[in-house]
Amino acid sequence: MMFPLMSSMVVSLVLQLALISPLIHGFTNHLMVTPQSPVVQIGTNVTATCVILNTTEVTADDLYWKINSSIIPKEYYTKINASAVSVTLHITDEVGAWLFCAARSTSHYINPSKDRFLHGIFIKKGYHPEKPENLSCKAMQEGRWISGNLTCRWDSASRQTESVPTSYTLFVEEHPGPIFNVTTQDTKITVRMDVFPHHTSLVVRVVAHNSLGKAESEHLEKEAKEFVKTFPPSNVKVFAEEMFPTSLLIEWEHPIERVYLKLAYQIRFCPHGSHVWRHVSVPEEYTEKDITSFRLQNLRPFQQYDVQVRCKSRRGGYWSDWSANVTQTTPEDSPASKPDLWMLYAGGGEVQLVCKDPEMSNGRITAFNVTIQRSGNDSSEQEVVPVQQSGATWMSRQGITPLRRVSLANQKFIKACATASNSVGTSPKACLHVPSSPSGRHRVEGMKVWSQDGQMFVEWKRPNSSAVSEYVIQWSDRTHTDWQRENGRTNKTAIKGKLQSFVCYNITVYPIRAGWLLKPTSLEAYLEQGAPLEGPSVTRTVPGYDHAVLEWSTVPLERRQGFITNCTVFYRRNDKPPGTYADPPKAMAVPANATSITLTQLSGNTKYEVWVGMSTIAGMRNGTPHTFNTLKHAPGMVEGIVVGVSLCFLFLVLMVIILCIYKKDVIKENFWPQIPNPGESTIGNWSPGYPLQAETPKENCVTGVSVLDVGVCEVKLGFEDDKTSLSLKKDKYLSEEHSSGIGGSSCMSSPRQSVSDSDEGPDLADSTASTVQYSSVVASSGYKGQTPGSQSQHSIFSRSESTQPLLDSEEHPDVLLQRSPRETVFPPNPDDFRPLGGEQQPFCPLKEDAEQTPESDSLQDDTGAPLSSYMPQLAGYRPQ
Amino acid sequence: MNGHVKNMHFQQHVERAATLLCFLLLLAVDTTKTVEAGKNQGCDSDLQKTQKLTRLIHKQTGDLIKAYKASEGEMAQLFCKASRSDIPDPNISGLEPSERMASIYTQLQAFSPHLKRVQEQQMDLQPPKSLLLDLIQKVRDYSVRLTSSINNFYHNFFPNLPLPDPAGGPTTLPLPQNIFQQKIYGCVVLTTYKKLLNNISKDMRTLKIKVCTRAR
Repeated sequence: MMFPLMSSMVVSLVLQLALISPLIHGFTNHLMVTPQSPVVQIGTNVTATCVILNTTEVTADDLYWKINSSIIPKEYYTKINASAVSVTLHITDEVGAWLFCAARSTSHYINPSKDRFLHGIFIKKGYHPEKPENLSCKAMQEGRWISGNLTCRWDSASRQTESVPTSYTLFVEEHPGPIFNVTTQDTKITVRMDVFPHHTSLVVRVVAHNSLGKAESEHLEKEAKEFVKTFPPSNVKVFAEEMFPTSLLIEWEHPIERVYLKLAYQIRFCPHGSHVWRHVSVPEEYTEKDITSFRLQNLRPFQQYDVQVRCKSRRGGYWSDWSANVTQTTPEDSPASKPDLWMLYAGGGEVQLVCKDPEMSNGRITAFNVTIQRSGNDSSEQEVVPVQQSGATWMSRQGITPLRRVSLANQKFIKACATASNSVGTSPKACLHVPSSPSGRHRVEGMKVWSQDGQMFVEWKRPNSSAVSEYVIQWSDRTHTDWQRENGRTNKTAIKGKLQSFVCYNITVYPIRAGWLLKPTSLEAYLEQGAPLEGPSVTRTVPGYDHAVLEWSTVPLERRQGFITNCTVFYRRNDKPPGTYADPPKAMAVPANATSITLTQLSGNTKYEVWVGMSTIAGMRNGTPHTFNTLKHAPGMVEGIVVGVSLCFLFLVLMVIILCIYKKDVIKENFWPQIPNPGESTIGNWSPGYPLQAETPKENCVTGVSVLDVGVCEVKLGFEDDKTSLSLKKDKYLSEEHSSGIGGSSCMSSPRQSVSDSDEGPDLADSTASTVQYSSVVASSGYKGQTPGSQSQHSIFSRSESTQPLLDSEEHPDVLLQRSPRETVFPPNPDDFRPLGGEQQPFCPLKEDAEQTPESDSLQDDTGAPLSSYMPQLAGYRPQ
Repeated sequence: MNGHVKNMHFQQHVERAATLLCFLLLLAVDTTKTVEAGKNQGCDSDLQKTQKLTRLIHKQTGDLIKAYKASEGEMAQLFCKASRSDIPDPNISGLEPSERMASIYTQLQAFSPHLKRVQEQQMDLQPPKSLLLDLIQKVRDYSVRLTSSINNFYHNFFPNLPLPDPAGGPTTLPLPQNIFQQKIYGCVVLTTYKKLLNNISKDMRTLKIKVCTRAR
């Protein structure tokens, strides 16, 4: 295969060289590539030959080929002779390329004149044109005539490249007559003829051509009129004729005179606004004799129709556009079908009878004639209800006429019948038996409602036991009700009324048997569900320490837009400062019908934000967020703490008491040391001459250094100044409270609190302070014939003003002997004897004493009358 | 093999040849009929198209005369009733269909320069885009096509009869005229041309019957 091809190429090359050899002598270039500027079909091979001219510096072996900037490998070369070499390339891509022949620099001659050893050609690449398909031409009407411009278009299957574009030449040949042609690179062009060649044959063809060849389309040979598209029929009129209520007369005018074109006509019509057109072609014999009218028949009386007409050449051609809409109403006729009588439960045992116009009303219904017959009563009530066309109520807007409200109380049933009347006649009668309690045996079961493609469908199972003559499917929202009838063999239908999305409809199927209403079955359904318009609002929160009870309000039905699938309670801590990242909310799903929930595991004393989301299958809507604070303490927590502390305190007290009981000896020994009873002392016996009665209580009081029993003192001594006495008593109690021994208390050692805290002035206090360091308490009667029986009544402690130390061995046993068991005992703790000027307890002024009076009183109450007290030392030193 | 047998073989060959000959004759007759039917169908179609085209030009010429009269006002009726001798005769001559076809062709040819002259004169008298000028142009264009159509038909159906030259030599156009004369001339040319078209249209029906029936 390749050999004959190569040999023919060589021959042609030789011929070319022979032809160009006289020319190339004048060239300065030593290389020449042939053919010059070849156009190559993509997918084929191209062969170029490089010839060495007028030089012996290079041979064919020194030549090499480059395409653009790439050197072509040697295996593609063919050496023709010593001065010629060819290359064969397979063209695959669409981009044009430069093919160069060059010589390698083998001698000193080539290098300086390199350009003379280089020659290139540009290879144009393209596709052979393919036959244009689907040629079609059209001549439009212009004014009164057909335009001489014939616009043609076609499909081009051929590919083309930039370097080898394809052009199209359209030829329009009149037969007989001139030939017109135009050229374009598009696939659509208009040929301008002087006039449109009426009554002439046209042959139209298109030729695709480029550098690689040409291809011609099929010839489109037609009568010229077959290319014409005229205007639509003009002045279309539609007439209603009273004598023919089921027909309309259509008239029109030719859009163009018949000498140019004979036209065929088509009419389409539909009930006004329905856009479901019925087409009627006007037979040619009707228009043969220039008749431009047609009567549409078998139309519905009193129906508004839209009518349009179009035309085209009888012999082919294009249909014109449709004429403008013309609307006309057919004349009225008598109603041909029964009115649609129905009832709506009105509450209170009443039904509202309603009626729609008959399907074949054939005119405007002006009135309904209603007849009502009650059970057990042969007589009937008749009423004519005029039809209001105001559209003021939803019923009238839906074409429903309320007839009458009838009570079913004390009635087994009522029978209602109605006829509809228009201006021409009256319809057949429609009747309905409405029982007060419809039989439930024949109710439909297995009712299903679903939506699909914007329509709501209802399906049910037919009752087995009864022959249902028809079904009424009623749908109602909160404000509107409508219904439709289906025959008794149906068990599935689409609701024909205009339903709205996101509205809850109550769909009810009423079986009717021989005009008797049976028990209905109902379901709620949505045509389309959406996310609720609003979320539930939290109405109440009852916060606890670690929990909170939430209550929210239900969303109104009209705002739900679907069946609520569930509610979700979201809550999160809201105690972070504004601007900081809030915690993600926790969610808790609750049933759709729930209106409260108890949130648990909350933190105490924390602000929480909570909201409730309500979901349908279409989405969720959150309610308004609500915040609350959990309690600082749990209920009972404070009480628990108090009880705990109290219990601890009680336990402590008990422990102390028990300790005291078990260690009473130690305590007694420490706090109430054993003091020798002076009465049992031998001193009493030692000075028998000293009369016991010589010391009178009065004398004791006068001395003023003894602390007396108050009662005794009041009686026997008769204090002049009660105030002073009270003060002293108070001081005594303070001393008892604070001191731990006789004169050993810091308070006792304080002149103000012990013995000098009186109104008698600081002098005494000062003097006492200066002399107390060796003070001791001496029972005034201790050395004066003490009697044990009277000691308990008249224990008197006197403070000596002596600066001499007492003898322990002599004094203490006496004091101990004089003390009664109820007397406060002040052990002689040396530590308690502190210097006055040293560490002193804070001074307790009288005012404070007064404030403490109740306490003192209570102490008095607790202890009864004081058994002993310190009395102020009123007199000075008394010699013993 | 005796002579009787040879004779039988000969008879069989003769019968076969006769059958073949009959078949070929039938085929030839049928082919001829088909050609004739096709030619007849073309005759009807061509003459019908020519007739329709004549009616179209007649209609357009009528519209042109109306537009012409409308442009000239009340005086147009007077112009158009005038007669002139330098305008071709609208009548069709000849007895044979070929002669009448030739006459139609010749008359159409004769009117062509007159229509051109009227157009030229009206171009000076009418605004450039007037309906009148448009109509004259269309009448001229369609007249060319009618002439071509008749010529084509004539050559198809009377191939051995060359179309004669116009009687009395080439059409002579009137000398330069004043505007009044131009108006009269224009209207007379158009009305005469319309008469010619009317005559052609009538003649076409007769020719259709005569020529196409003869072809059948």
